[in-house]
Amino acid sequence: MDTIEVSNLNRQFLFRQSHVGQSKAKVARDAVLRFRPHISITPYHANVKDSNFNVNFFKQFNVVLNGLDNLDARRHVNRLCLAAEVPLVESGTTGFLGQVTVHVKGKTECYECQPKPAPKTYPVCTITSTPSKFVHCIVWAKDLLFAKLFGDKNQENDLNVRSNDSCSSSENKNNVFERSDDEDWEQYGRRIYDHVFGYNIELALSDEETWKNRTKPRPMYSRDVLPDKMTQQNGNADKTDDLSPASAMASLGLKNPQDIWCLMENTRVFLEALKLFFTSRKKEIGNLSIAGNIVHAVATTNAIVAGLIVIEAIKVLKKDGCYRMTYCLEHPSKKMLLMPVEPFEPNKSCCVCSQTPLSLEINTHRSKLRDFVEKIVKAKLGMNSPLIMCGLALLYEVGDDLEKDMIENYTANLEKVLSELPSPVTGGTMLTVEDLQQEFTCNIYIKHREEFDEEKEPDEMVLSGWTQAPPEKKDDKTSNGNGASTSKKDIEVKEISDGTASPGKKRKLPEFSEGCTLDQSNDADETMNHKKIQKLDDDDDDLVMLDHWGKDTSKKQRSQ
Amino acid sequence: MSGGGIARGRLAEERKSWRKNHPHGFVARPDNAPDGSLDLMVWKCIIPGKPGTDWEGGFFPLTLHFSEDYPSKPPKCKFPQGFFHPNVYPSGTVCLSILNEDYGWRPAITVKQILVGIQDLLDQPNPADPAQTDGYQLFVQDPTEYRRRVRQQSKLYPPTL
Repeated sequence: MDTIEVSNLNRQFLFRQSHVGQSKAKVARDAVLRFRPHISITPYHANVKDSNFNVNFFKQFNVVLNGLDNLDARRHVNRLCLAAEVPLVESGTTGFLGQVTVHVKGKTECYECQPKPAPKTYPVCTITSTPSKFVHCIVWAKDLLFAKLFGDKNQENDLNVRSNDSCSSSENKNNVFERSDDEDWEQYGRRIYDHVFGYNIELALSDEETWKNRTKPRPMYSRDVLPDKMTQQNGNADKTDDLSPASAMASLGLKNPQDIWCLMENTRVFLEALKLFFTSRKKEIGNLSIAGNIVHAVATTNAIVAGLIVIEAIKVLKKDGCYRMTYCLEHPSKKMLLMPVEPFEPNKSCCVCSQTPLSLEINTHRSKLRDFVEKIVKAKLGMNSPLIMCGLALLYEVGDDLEKDMIENYTANLEKVLSELPSPVTGGTMLTVEDLQQEFTCNIYIKHREEFDEEKEPDEMVLSGWTQAPPEKKDDKTSNGNGASTSKKDIEVKEISDGTASPGKKRKLPEFSEGCTLDQSNDADETMNHKKIQKLDDDDDDLVMLDHWGKDTSKKQRSQ
Repeated sequence: MSGGGIARGRLAEERKSWRKNHPHGFVARPDNAPDGSLDLMVWKCIIPGKPGTDWEGGFFPLTLHFSEDYPSKPPKCKFPQGFFHPNVYPSGTVCLSILNEDYGWRPAITVKQILVGIQDLLDQPNPADPAQTDGYQLFVQDPTEYRRRVRQQSKLYPPTL
């Protein structure tokens, strides 16, 4: 579903300025056809997780080349490729780092055989009450405040967890973030500012216990920071140009984005940005990327990885068998920047390509089916349209095809605690979770546990046997979790240099890259003499298929 | 794991494949028990009478009862008690070769094939294998009355929506 942005143009060399805003898949196809007019390419400007890209869709290809930018889509494609028994060439880059791996069912490990860095999550209470790291502030701003002000009003939001405690009516708490008719933008902005940076901080301070071993925060009110009205300070605050992209910096006359702002400047930007976001068109906001990935994409790394993808794809099509996983390093190792490794055999205890039950410790008297679905089935197992079964009873399904009464039944189940479901789920129960599209089945053995460590186990669930690595401790670096769902009880932020795979295990792995997107590796056609190839392109979603290779081309290439 | 595990896995597959694609007008879904659970072992189905036949317009409820031995053994397929058809027992149980483990049943037969097979049977009874007197005798002795009874029964089962 990705479209071309100005910031792509430095490295995604199939695109030109005139293409900005258009579908990547479609433009890439046109660009490639210009220098290879006789090949057939079918672009899909769609989400790869759509149900029409099912196992049968994948079965028509000889090889699948991934150029995805998030874990979720990668796992989905991995499972479909396993189900369809189509080899997958998987890749990713982050700055100078990159890797290409080959996954052939039964021969090499699958994408999920080795632990992958899970998106880092932060407990809501840390974010709202006791932030201690820079990243906590970014998460607060992006996932709580921004979502509260500009996001879906019906979406659950924990921004005011504390103030809600003081049993204010729900009417009241909503009003805090709604602008009333008699308020101008500045009054509204100042009220929000005072609420989140003043009032909420004072509320947090009132809990003495919290601050015994912590530095106390200081409440801030806009009148103390910015006593005068904004309009008196800059003459052009009223000038709203609907056509220019909303930029508080521009309208405040701040020029250098590298400058460090003082508190007063920050406050002015806050108030101005609030006004601009509200007064400019909603659509524009949706397209702005907020707190984006701060790792710069390096064109050279992308080009190298694209080349490696092609090399591996050719081997797959020739059924060569000598596949290599290749890592691009940041610092030379034995004077080499590329490190090829022989692929490993499938991990016998991998839950995706083998069949080993997982176990889940959970309080079956307290956790609801909804918690299980959100935190385990979706977040951890990466399922899209799950079916959950307890023995022979169906506990949950999701999909447009379901009848109304079934949906009601399942919705009711979601709110029930596990032990009170129609087929009670208690310690010793084996749950089976399947995905309608991914052809992926998991057995989960339930162990009842009464207490969980609030700090270490905020989910109140412990899943073992799953290869997903626990989030890493270092959280000073972050990027926006592309495509990661947020706004639930836990907030996800993706680690950038997903410092990764399994350090200290059998192989020395350079960092795995998730963050970035690969460019179109259009050159995939050079030597192939097979009829079809597919590339899953760019930010999660676009598909590009090349098929029906022109006879001439393939002959010529065979003779090379 | 016991046979139940195999049955469960297969029924989950059947459920998924039915959800992805099924013949128009047919319904097949795990049974909604009074306690709110959905039982994969019992499926409530609806078979539409074939257009252009005396069965047209009828939407006939059929229940599939699977056993722990499924798919080694076929499910028991039941229409309502007293259903009028030469190959349906007074209890409602359907008598059809593909549903008999000693004859035509094969584990590869899907729920979809069973339902379509029964739809075919409605208008093409097998007089060599009668299961009820009423339907069988009218079918062989009084075709006009037989057809009247079929049309009458079709009206008894209008579409449920």
